[in-house]
Order: sequence, then C-alpha cells, then structure tokens
Amino acid sequence: MERRIIHLNIADFSVAVERLLDTSLKGKALIIAHPSPRAVVADMSDEAYAEGVHKGMLLSTARLRCRKALVLPPRPEQYHKALQRCLEHAAHYTPLVERSSGSGHLYLDVTGTHRLFGPAPDIGWRLRNTLRQDLGLDPIWSVGSNKLIAKVASRLVKPRGEYIVGGGEEIPFLAPLPLKLLPGIFPHDLLRLRHVNIERVHQLAALSVQELAILCDHRAQHLYQTARGIDTSPVRPSGRAEAKYTHLHIFTPDTNEEAMVRAAVATLVQQLGYGLRQERLACRRITISLHYSDGVMVNRQATSKIPLDDETALTHLANTALYLAWRRRIRLRQISLACSMLQYPVQQLSLLAAADPRQQKNRRLSEALDTIRSRCGASKVVRGSQHLAHAGSAAL
Amino acid sequence: MAANAPVFTGTSGFSYPEWIEAGIYPPGTKSAQMLGLYCHLFPVVELNYTWYQMVRQESVARMLAASGQLLYCAKLTRSMTHEIDEDWQAQTALYCQGIQPLLQSGRLLSVLVQFPPSFHRTRENRLYLARLFDALKALPLSVEFRHRSWAQDSVFKGLEERQITLVSVDAPPLSDLFPPLAVITNPDLFYLRLHGRNAQGWGSGSKQQQFNYNYSKEELQQWSRERIPQMRSACKAGVILFNNHVAGQAVRNAQAMAKLIP
Repeated sequence: MERRIIHLNIADFSVAVERLLDTSLKGKALIIAHPSPRAVVADMSDEAYAEGVHKGMLLSTARLRCRKALVLPPRPEQYHKALQRCLEHAAHYTPLVERSSGSGHLYLDVTGTHRLFGPAPDIGWRLRNTLRQDLGLDPIWSVGSNKLIAKVASRLVKPRGEYIVGGGEEIPFLAPLPLKLLPGIFPHDLLRLRHVNIERVHQLAALSVQELAILCDHRAQHLYQTARGIDTSPVRPSGRAEAKYTHLHIFTPDTNEEAMVRAAVATLVQQLGYGLRQERLACRRITISLHYSDGVMVNRQATSKIPLDDETALTHLANTALYLAWRRRIRLRQISLACSMLQYPVQQLSLLAAADPRQQKNRRLSEALDTIRSRCGASKVVRGSQHLAHAGSAAL
Repeated sequence: MAANAPVFTGTSGFSYPEWIEAGIYPPGTKSAQMLGLYCHLFPVVELNYTWYQMVRQESVARMLAASGQLLYCAKLTRSMTHEIDEDWQAQTALYCQGIQPLLQSGRLLSVLVQFPPSFHRTRENRLYLARLFDALKALPLSVEFRHRSWAQDSVFKGLEERQITLVSVDAPPLSDLFPPLAVITNPDLFYLRLHGRNAQGWGSGSKQQQFNYNYSKEELQQWSRERIPQMRSACKAGVILFNNHVAGQAVRNAQAMAKLIP
C-alpha cells in the first residue's frame, strides 16, 4: 500500500505559543532569546524576520536591526505543553506520530486509515482546523508519500498554506526546486555541487551514484536517493517510553570545565544504565544535547553495533557523542542524554576466545551497584567518575 | 438546445485508495496511475483536490498530459468559499492563473463554487458573492449552495444574468439544506451533483459517513426520467457527478446512471 505521510509545521513555534499566552503580543515584532549578553536569537516573529533578524544571530545585532522588537526569554515547558496538546490531537488519527527535532514539527503516518478518516488531505485539513480552534495555532500542512517529500512541500508554502504531492509525483515535484530546499543536504554538499554548476534537483537527479561519488564521496547514495524523493525512514512515534530514557543535568553555575562535564555525563549514564537494566533492556544509540549559555543547542549521537546496558560501555558511547557535540568554548548551561534503538540485550559469545575479564568485572560491578541502589536509593552509591558532578550541580 | 445534448457522467474525485479495495482499480494501483485508469471509466471528472489547495499550473499541465480527452470540472479553493479571508481577491487571481492550462485546453467544463451550509443569504454574503463572481468572470462558473435561503427566484435571475450554472443537488431531505431543484440558469451547461441521502451521516463531521450511500435504481430514475430530460432539453450540455465516493459506490451509481440516460 502506498504510504501517506502528513507533515504539520507550526512556523515560529515558540513565537506562536508566546502569542497564545499573551494575546497583546499579536502583530508585534518578537525575539525569543536568553537574557544574557552573548545570547543568540532562538526564534523570531515574521515582523522581526522582515527587519533582517534570523535564528542564531547575536541578540545585540538583532536588537540593532529591529529596535522595536520585544525580547522574551524562552519558556521550554510552555512550548512542550503546547506541542503535547498537538500530539494528542494528531493521535486521534493515527498512533504513528513523530515529533521531529525542532519545535513545531509533527509527522503523521496515515497510511491505511482512509476507510476510517477519508483521504490524507482531508485529515491534514481537519487536523489543522482542530489546532486552530483548540489552540489558536495555524500550522502548515502537507501530504506526501514519505517524510522527505512532505517536508519539502511544507518548505515551499512557509509561513502558511498547504501542499499535496500525489503518489508518483515525487520526481516532477522535486525536479525544478533549488537544492537548498532538500533536507539532509549539508552546506559542504551544496558548495561542492555549486562548483560544477549543479543548483537544481533535476541536475542532481541526472547523475548516477558513481558520478556523485566523485563529487561527494560517501554521501553519494544519500544524495542520489534524496534527489529522487526516496525516503524509506519510518515515522517513529515518540511517547512515554522515549521520555523515560532521557536524562537532564543542569550546571550551576554554567561551566566549560571538562572534568565537570565528563562527571555530569557519567551521572547521566548511570541513571540511564540503571533504568535500562531495571527494564532488562539495552540501547544502541546515545544522543547528547548540549545547551550553551548563549542559547545555542547542539545535538550529536553515537551508535554502537551491539546493544549496550553496562555503564562502562555506555559511558564510552556517551563520551563519543560528547566529543562530536562539544566544539565550542562557551560555557554549558545544561546537558541532556537520551538513548534510542532499544533492544533486549543479547550476547554473542566467542567460539574460541574467552570473554574479556574486564568486561565481566564491570558488569558484576554494575549489578552490585544496582542492588545497593534498589535497596538504599539511586543516589546512595556512585562511581568515582561522578564525584565532581555531585559536588556542584543538579541532575533532574 | 436539444433533447440529445451531450450529458457527461462521472464522479467527484478519482484518487481514493479505497477504490482499489472496492475493485474499481486493480490491486497494487499507485495514485499516479489512477487518473489514467479513470479515463477508461468516465468522460468527466470533478477535481476536488483544488478545494484543499490552490491549483497550480504545473500540476494541472501534468494531469492534462496523462488523461487523454477527459473533461474536467474543478472546485474553487476553500479560501474563497469556506474559509474566506481578507486576501480572497489575491486568491482569485492565483486560481485564475493556476487553472489556465485547463482553460486553454478547452477541457474545462466548469469551475464549481461550492459554499458551506453556514453561508446563508445575508446582505454581506450577497455582496461577497457578486464581487467573487466579478473576480472570476473569465472562468465558466457553477455555484452550489447548501443552505435553503438561496432557493429564491431573485437568486436564480441573478445567476441567469451572469450565465452562471446553478448546481442541482441530490442530498438527504434535511430541512435546512438547499432543495433538489432542476432550475436552469445557464443554457450552456446543467450541473447535477449527487451526494447520497445519508441523513444520519450528513452532520457527523466525517466524510466517510456523510457520503456513504448507495443509490437504488428507483432513486436514480427519479432524476433520469423527468428532471434530467427537462434540464437537457434546455441546455447545450450537461454534467452529472456522484460524490458518494465511499467504497466505490459513486462509480457504480454513475455507471448505472449513464445507462439510464440515452
């Protein structure tokens, strides 16, 4: 059966929520940014955008460009509540609702729901009406045969509107578009392609994987598929289970000391590992989100070939993600750690070599610590690597 | 005007996955193949996707190329009928622009302006209607009202002066709905839409219930014996479209209706 994916995009989500909470802000230029000297713009209204303000710009520059703009501090808990409400409405139509990275983006897989709810465009329209009536939000909605097509369609009509791409129309739909509209094409890809005068999707789609490999090396296959509108990634529902394996650590005060940050990661890994082992689960991927004191957020992930539940192995994986994410000298405000690709732990024993004794020892230690924690409380016993984190900050 | 004026029968929309399950399209049919298959079933189709989103030249051109000699009726976008906003005039300009390939091909029978039941005959709405018709005067128009307040001679006369077709509707016998009339306001075309008579499902808010109805032969004959010949004799051409799309009932009813009309 042909897939039908709906993408809902609430443009300038945090601004939209702030305007819901305070209706007097409607029509005014707004900038969402942390109130600190080196803060950067996290989001802005159309009015501020029209004056030249954009995301990631230094707040001081943004203020110069749009002097009349009101600057509001971000209120993530309010944004989360609003998004949660959107998710509840979307869940009425399908259990497959994915909250994409970045606020205000939802994907719904409505494949096979036509007998109950009618065609996908009708669902998109109804959902948008519900969000307008219940929350006062006016999302863009688009329909496509996969997440890639639906997202590009939304980008075409931003900041408001709708776009329906019929099944089988993916290639003609993408063909005339500029490459920068395609998600998953990085600036360095664009630069390389621009060097050979490739700026539109149909020009990219004319190249074979081998030809692309000359230009973009290991990215060739990905680019080849993207230019043809091929995206087999499923809509991954985000629910309680995922939130259960997400842990947050806030530094007080903000810090960029490596020892403190590593200790915080160790604490989060301990919480994560304990939770996983209690559920007799293991994970293959760890995602680290760093929130810098100037409002910039960076997400990076590391993936293991085998499912992990032991603290030492999880710490190693988390440190790999940390190494990828932590590239700035600005102090960190908070760090969060999430695991995904959850599986039941399996152990493939070697036919010839004996198991690594250090690994065995670490596992026994983790189990012993778990026993103490389950009897006396999770914070009663910690590893030495967590010592600094416990001295100067708070884990949530 | 002649008693044997051509009458084209078809359905409202053609892209329904459930029509595969209903056996209308073969198993495994992709959305992109449905229009090509539809051409073998009927001579006319009503485009309803144009109600959800603004019509675009490139998609209309692609559709024309893939559909042989199929004739089209196209719904006006909801931003001018159901969700009228301040920039509706800009929307009419976009629509006129987007529908051009269809207009130029000579295969556009009519643009359907369908208003919701909440669109009553008030002074404000009458003024809006007049301005909308003026903005769309380059297109062949048909108008469908869902509220009975528009069933008045003065309305019919106004449409006649503008040569705009009043859509005849077959719908459940509910007191507030526009009644099933065979009034001719445009000698070029009569336009009949059959929505089904599911009175229970009509107000459910679900299109799957609202348009879930299978016409009996007797019900179809109510139209084919008297009203359709009457309208046909007063017009150069006619179009009959079934909107009861659920489970492919529209296709079967339209095929049955085509057989009833000589």
